[in-house]
Amino acid sequence: MKNIKLLLIAALLVVSCSDLEEEPVGILAPESFFKTIDDLQAAANGSFAYMASEKYWGRKLTLSLLLRGDMADIGDLGTSGRRRDVNNFEMTDDNGMITAFWPQSYAIIGAANQAIAGAERLDGNQEKINEVAAQAYFSRAFTYYHLVRIFGDIPYIDMAVADVSTVDNISKTPEAEVYENIIADLEFAKEMLPDTQPTRSLPSKATAAAYLASVYLTLEEYQKAYDESKYVIDNKGTFNLELESDFQNLFIPDNAGALKEPLFTIDFIGQSRDGDLGQDYLAPLTGIREDETGRSEGGGWTVAVPTLNVYDDWNGRDYRKRVSLDTTAIFNGEVHPFTEFADFSDRGVNRPHIAKYYRYPGVSGSNGRESSHNFITMRYAEVLLIAAESLNEINGGSSEAIGYINQLRERARNRDGEIANFPEDVSAGVSQSELRDIIIRERRLELAFEFKRWYDIKRLKIGEQAFGPNGLEPHPNFDPNRDYLFPLPGDELSRNPNLQPNNPGY
Amino acid sequence: MFTQRTLKFLSYIFICLIFITGYSAQAQQRTVTGKVTSKSDGVPIPGVNISVAGTSTGIVTDFDGMYSIEVSGSDAVLVFSYLGFLSQRETVGDRNEINVALEEDISALNEVVVVGYGTQKKSDITGAVSSVASEELTAFPVLSGEQALQGRAAGVAVQSNNGGEPGAPIKIRIRGGTSINASSDALVVVDGFVGASMPPPEDIASMEVLKDASATAIYGSRASNGVILVTTKRGQIGKVSIELNSSYSIQEVNNTLDLLDADEFADYRSSYSDDFTPGNANTDWQDVIYRQGSIASHQVSFSGGGESARYYVSGTFFDQKGAIINSDLERFSFLANIDLDVTDNFKVGLNTFGRRNSTNGVSTQAASGGAGSAGVVSSAYRFAPDLGIYDANDEFTINSLGDDIDNPFATATEKVNERVADLYRANFFAEYFLLENLSFKTTLGFSTYNALRGTFIPTTLISGAGVGGEATVENSRDTDIITENYLTYNEEIGKAEFKFLAGYSYQKSKGEDSFAGAREFVTNSVSYRNLGGGSTYLKPESSLTERELISLFGRINFDWDDRYLLTFTARRDGSSSFSKNNKYAFFPSGAIGWNMGNEAFLEDSELISAWKWRASYGVTGNPSIPAYGTLARFSEIYSVINDEITNAVAVTVLANDNLKWESSYQTDFGVDIALFKNRLNLTADYYKIQTKDLLFARPLPEYVGLANPYQIQNIGELENKGFEFTLFSRNFVGDNFKWNTRFNFATNKNKVVKLPNGDDIIIDSTPGHFLQDESQILREGEPVGSFYGYVYEGVIQEGDDIPEGFENEPGGELFADLNGDGQINSDDKTIIGDPNPDYTAGLNNEFLYKNFDMNLFFQASVGGDILNYTLLELASGDSNATTDVLNAYTPSNTNTNIPAAAVREKRVTSRYVYDGSYIRLKNLSVGYSLPNDIIERFGFQKVRFSLSGQNLLTFTDYPGVDPEVNYRNNNNERSNTNLGLDYGSYPNVKSYTLGVNLKF
Repeated sequence: MKNIKLLLIAALLVVSCSDLEEEPVGILAPESFFKTIDDLQAAANGSFAYMASEKYWGRKLTLSLLLRGDMADIGDLGTSGRRRDVNNFEMTDDNGMITAFWPQSYAIIGAANQAIAGAERLDGNQEKINEVAAQAYFSRAFTYYHLVRIFGDIPYIDMAVADVSTVDNISKTPEAEVYENIIADLEFAKEMLPDTQPTRSLPSKATAAAYLASVYLTLEEYQKAYDESKYVIDNKGTFNLELESDFQNLFIPDNAGALKEPLFTIDFIGQSRDGDLGQDYLAPLTGIREDETGRSEGGGWTVAVPTLNVYDDWNGRDYRKRVSLDTTAIFNGEVHPFTEFADFSDRGVNRPHIAKYYRYPGVSGSNGRESSHNFITMRYAEVLLIAAESLNEINGGSSEAIGYINQLRERARNRDGEIANFPEDVSAGVSQSELRDIIIRERRLELAFEFKRWYDIKRLKIGEQAFGPNGLEPHPNFDPNRDYLFPLPGDELSRNPNLQPNNPGY
Repeated sequence: MFTQRTLKFLSYIFICLIFITGYSAQAQQRTVTGKVTSKSDGVPIPGVNISVAGTSTGIVTDFDGMYSIEVSGSDAVLVFSYLGFLSQRETVGDRNEINVALEEDISALNEVVVVGYGTQKKSDITGAVSSVASEELTAFPVLSGEQALQGRAAGVAVQSNNGGEPGAPIKIRIRGGTSINASSDALVVVDGFVGASMPPPEDIASMEVLKDASATAIYGSRASNGVILVTTKRGQIGKVSIELNSSYSIQEVNNTLDLLDADEFADYRSSYSDDFTPGNANTDWQDVIYRQGSIASHQVSFSGGGESARYYVSGTFFDQKGAIINSDLERFSFLANIDLDVTDNFKVGLNTFGRRNSTNGVSTQAASGGAGSAGVVSSAYRFAPDLGIYDANDEFTINSLGDDIDNPFATATEKVNERVADLYRANFFAEYFLLENLSFKTTLGFSTYNALRGTFIPTTLISGAGVGGEATVENSRDTDIITENYLTYNEEIGKAEFKFLAGYSYQKSKGEDSFAGAREFVTNSVSYRNLGGGSTYLKPESSLTERELISLFGRINFDWDDRYLLTFTARRDGSSSFSKNNKYAFFPSGAIGWNMGNEAFLEDSELISAWKWRASYGVTGNPSIPAYGTLARFSEIYSVINDEITNAVAVTVLANDNLKWESSYQTDFGVDIALFKNRLNLTADYYKIQTKDLLFARPLPEYVGLANPYQIQNIGELENKGFEFTLFSRNFVGDNFKWNTRFNFATNKNKVVKLPNGDDIIIDSTPGHFLQDESQILREGEPVGSFYGYVYEGVIQEGDDIPEGFENEPGGELFADLNGDGQINSDDKTIIGDPNPDYTAGLNNEFLYKNFDMNLFFQASVGGDILNYTLLELASGDSNATTDVLNAYTPSNTNTNIPAAAVREKRVTSRYVYDGSYIRLKNLSVGYSLPNDIIERFGFQKVRFSLSGQNLLTFTDYPGVDPEVNYRNNNNERSNTNLGLDYGSYPNVKSYTLGVNLKF
C-alpha cells in the first residue's frame, strides 16, 4: 500500500514543473526578428503587401478615387450607398469606403515604420541596409501622399508603435508639415535606392524622383517638379524606362513583367490571395453586367461607369479611347452596343464601360475578381506630363514641354503596329494657358481611370467646372468649401478627440 | 523543480495526515447477515452500502441483495444506504439476521447530486444547481447531450446554430451571455474531465448544471459561463443487464415560405422591370431541395459486475439523412466505464470514449450570398421560379435577377463539403482511502480530437468555373492531457459536520492545424482527393498552439445539525495564455444556507416537507485570452513582389503585458421548497452577474498602424440579472396512474454597463452581398445584440411630407427622420429591436397509466426580436419575393404597408424586425410497456414501444420560416452579439419517431 501512496504523490509531482511562459513555435516576435537583410526586405515587403489589399488598391481606395472624379459615375444605381455617397458628394464621416482605406493606409505606414525601425536595429553593411530601408521610406511617403491629398491635416506617425499609450492623444499634423515629411522620405529614398530593381513592384531611384516631381507639382513648386521629372527623363536609359510602344499593352496583365514604362506597380497574380490581401475587384467594378464576352465568368458589376459626356467628349479617332472604353458586350451569344446594355440587366446602364481593367483581367476568378493585373501607380508617361506641365508654368508655351506631350501623342498613334494620324502633334506657338489646358486634358485622357483625375481636380480647383452643369459629370451638390477634402472617419475622431474638428462641412 | 505552490500543497497533505489519526476500538466480533429488498415491490437490491456507524467497516449487498458483515457489540448500528432510497439505521442488538426493506426516497431534496470534485446531498447544497435526469435526455432521439438539454433547466438556453442541420453546433447559454467578445459557452466536465465534449445522451446518467458562483467557483477561471457536469452511466452490482434502444424517425421541414410562382413572379417583375422576359419553367425551389429526412438511432449497452469489478459498455449508432438533399450525418461511438475495487480502500477505474462523426454538408447561412457564393436555402428563396434546374444547353441555370448565383439544386448537389471527426478520450482514476473519512483521488486523462475537412467546388458552379474547380483540405488535431489530484476529508463533531476538499490540477492543451488547397483541375472527378492535380495552389497554412493551466482548488462545507450550511470554495488558476504580469488568478466564493424546514417550528408541518434558503456570492472567470494573445507578433502576410508570392511580415498584434481574464461577480439568492410530503418541489433563484474587465477588442486609433487595429484589453462591463423558477410536482402517485409535471421559467436581463471610452460600437452582421456596414450596436445601458437601423414608417402616400435622402415618390419606403433635420441619413438610425427574450420556459408532463406512458413537452421563448435578412432580401426587388408583394402599393392599392415593387438597397430597417416569441410542442410521445408477466417468460426485464413526434406544433406570429434562428453565430467573436438573426438557415424539422426499448 505504501508503494501506491508514493506512486500517487509522485504522479502529483511529475506534472508540477511549468513556469507558464509561452514559447510560441511558428510565430515571430518583433524584438528578435531582424537578423539579416532578407528579414528587413520581408518587413519592407509587408508594406507593399498591404497596398495590394481589397481595402486599398484592390477596391476601397481606388474605387473612391475613381468615383470622386468626373471620369466615372455610378452605373448600377442599386449599388451600395457608401459608393454613391462618395460619387455624389454626400459623404458622411462613417462612409464605409474611408473606414476601410483609412486604417489600411496606416497599416501600410505601420509596416513601413516597423521596417525602418528594424533597419536601425540591424548591424552590417550600412549601404545595403539603407538600400532596403529606402523602400520602406518610399512606402511611407507614397501612402502619406495619398492621405494628405484626400484628407488634408492628418495624424502623422513615423515610428514603430509598440505601446498604444504613446500615440493615444496625438493631434493632427498640418498638411504642410506632412508634405515636408513626405519630401524628406522621398529624398532619402531617392538617395539610397538603386537605379533599377529586378521588378517594378519595388521602387527604384527613378520612382522616388518621379514621386518627388508629383509632390512638387501638387505643391505648385514647378521648378522642383521640373527638376525631378527632368532628372528621370534625362536618365531614362540608366533607369531602363521608356514609353511602351502600344498603349493597350499597358493594360494586359500577361505583358506586365516586360513593360519598361511603369515606375511602380502594385502586383496581383490572379486567383491567389489571403483574405483581403491579393484581392482586387477593379475589373468587376468597372465591367459590364451580364456580359458574356468570356473575359471572366459572369460579367462585371457596372458600378463605376463614365458618363456619356466622357464618351462624347473624347475624339473617337484617339486609340486611347478604344483601349480605355468598352462599347460593346455579348449577351445571349450576340454582340450588342452599349445603347442596349440595360436591356439585358436590371442593373445595367446604356453607357460605355471602363476597359482598362475589365477587358484583360488575366488569370482571375468570377467576374474578373482576383485578377492578375499589376496596377501601375506611376508610369513614364506621367513623368513626361509632369515635366510638360511644370515647364509650361515656368516658361509658358515651351517647345520642350510641347515635345513631351507629343511623345505621348506619337505613341497613341501606334495601333498595334499600324500608324494612324491621330492624335496630331501639338503645334508650336500655343500660349501658356492653351498649353496648360492641353496638358490637363492630356492627363485626363492618357491617365483616364488610373486614379489620378480626382487629385488633378482638387489640385487645380476645377471642381465647379467638372461637376457644373456643363461638366462631364454634373453634381449640383458639389461644394468647393467642403468637397475637396474627404471627412476623416468619425470613429477615429471619437477614439482620439484631439483629432477634432473634422474637415469643414462634415 | 518544486515551485513554492507545490511545496505548500504537499505540506498541507502532511498536516492532514498527521492530524487525522485513525481510531478504532477493538471489541468482540460477530457476524450479522440478511437481505435488503425494496419496500415497494419486494425485489432484492444489489449494491446497497452497509456500514457500521462510527467505524470504517463497510460492505455492499450481492446480486441477490444478501450481505454479511462483522460487527462488534450489540450497540453497533448498521446504516443501509442506496441511491434513490431513504437510508435506514438498524441497531444490531442481539440479532444475527437483519432483513431490511428500503423505502424509496421520493424527495428530490435528498437526492445526491454531482458537484465539482465530488457529490453532495441535495439538501446540503448551497449553490444553484439544476439536475437533469437520463429519462429527460433520452425522451426523443437527438445527436448530442447538449441538444437534449433544451428546455430542461431554468436559465439554460439551448439552441442550434443552424436549425435542423445534421450535426449543427449547439449553443448553450447559462444565465445569459456573460461576455461580449470572449466565448460564453458553458464549461463541460464529463466524469471529471474538464473541457470534454459530451457523449451521446443515451450514455448519460445525469447532468448537473452549476449556475451560481458557489457551485462554479471551484472551476475558477473557466467557470463564469456556468458549468455542466455530465455523469455517464456506470455498472451496478448485479447480473449483466443488456439494454437495447432503437428508434427510427422521419423528418420534414417545419415550415416553408410562401413565394411567388412563375406566373405571379412574371406579373411582379414586369411591374417594375421594363426588360423582363419570363422563363419557361415553374419551379418550386424549396420543394426541389427539401426531402423527407430520417434518423436511425441505435444503442446497445451491457452493464453489471460484482463486488470487486463493475462495468458499463455501450455502443451507439446514429444515421441521419437531413431534410435537405445531400446533407447527411453518421456517428458511431463506444463508451466503456470500468470500476475496480482493488481492496476495500483502494479503487481504480477507467472511462473511455471513442466517437466518429462523419458529415456531408450543404452550404447554408452563407456569410455572403454574392455572385457564386449563395447558400442552398437562401438561394431556394431568391432564385427565379421561372427557371428550371437545367438550361437549354443542359447546364445548371444561373439566377436571372440580382447577383449571379447558382441554382440551389446545383449548389446542394455539386458542392462537396465533407468532414470526418474522430474523438478518443480516456480518463483513468484511482482513489485511495487513507482513512475511512479521508480519501485521495487522482485522475489522469487524455483526449485527442482529429478532424479532416475536405471541400470541392466543381466547374459546374459559378465560383468553380472561374477558377477551374477549387479543392481544399483542412486537418486539425486537438489534444488534451489533464491530471487532477485531490483529498477529500469528512468529519463529524457532534452536530457539526465538516467536509474538506483540496486539490491540484494540471492541464495541457495543444491544437495543430494545417490547410492546403488548389485550383485549376483537369477534371471534376477527383474532388479534394488529389490536390496535386490542380495547377495553381492556394496558400498552405499550418499552426500550433499550446496552453497550460495549473490550478489549486479547495472547498469547505460546514453543516450544523442539518440546519445551517456554509460553503467556501476557491481556486487559483495559472494559465500560460495570461499576460506576463498577471499569470495567476484567484476565484473565491462563499455561500450560506438555512434548512428552515428542519427547524423545530416546521419539523412537524404537514404542509412543508423541506424549506431551504440559500445565498451565495463569488467570483469566476472567463479565460478566453487566445494562446499567445498577449504577445506582440510579427506575422507572415501574403505578399506578391515581381509576380511571385514573397516573404513579407508585419506587426499584427501589439503586446499587452497586463491583460487579465474576465471576472464575473455573481450574487444569488435562492429557495428550495418541498411541500405535501415532497410531492411538490419548488426552486426559485434570483441572480445578478456583473462581468468586469471584459476582454474587449478595443478599437485602437487606426493610425497606430495595424492591419486589424484592435487590441484585446480589459475594458467594459456587462450585467446579467434574472429570475429562475423550477417546479416539480407529482400530481398523481397512484399505482395505476401517475402524473408528473416539471416546469421551468427564467428571465434574464442583459445590459452593457461600460464600453471603451463610452463609445457605441457598431457591428455588421448582414450578408456580405447586402453591401451594408451596420446592423447592430453595442451601447451603454442597452442589451447586447440590439438591432440598429432606420425606423420604417410605412409606404409614402400622396401628399406626405417626405424627408430628403431616400425615396420620395408615393409607394416608396418612408423612414422616420428622427433628428428632424428634414434629411434621412445615417444620423437617423436607432435601436430597432432587442433579440433577448423576456423569458423562456419549459413544461414537461409525464403520464403513466398502467403500462402506458405519455410525455408532453412544451418549450417557449417570449419577447425576443428577430431581424430577418431573408425577408429583407426577398423584398429588395433583386430576387423572388414572398406572396406579401401581391399586396404591394399601387395607385389603386394605397392602403398597405408593402411598398411598390422596385429594386431597393438592402437597408437594415425596422420593417424586417419581428417579434420572435413562440411556444413549441417539442415532444409528444406515447409509450407502451409489455406487462412483466409476459416478458419475464422470454427473459426480458422491459419491453417498451413508443411513438413520438417532435416540433409538432408551434405557436408564433413570426412571419419567417422558424423563430428558433441563428445566423453568423458560430465563431466566438460574435456569438454573443449576433442574436436573433435569420438568414438562409437550414430549416428546423418536424420528426415522427418510432422507438423500441428492450432490457434483459
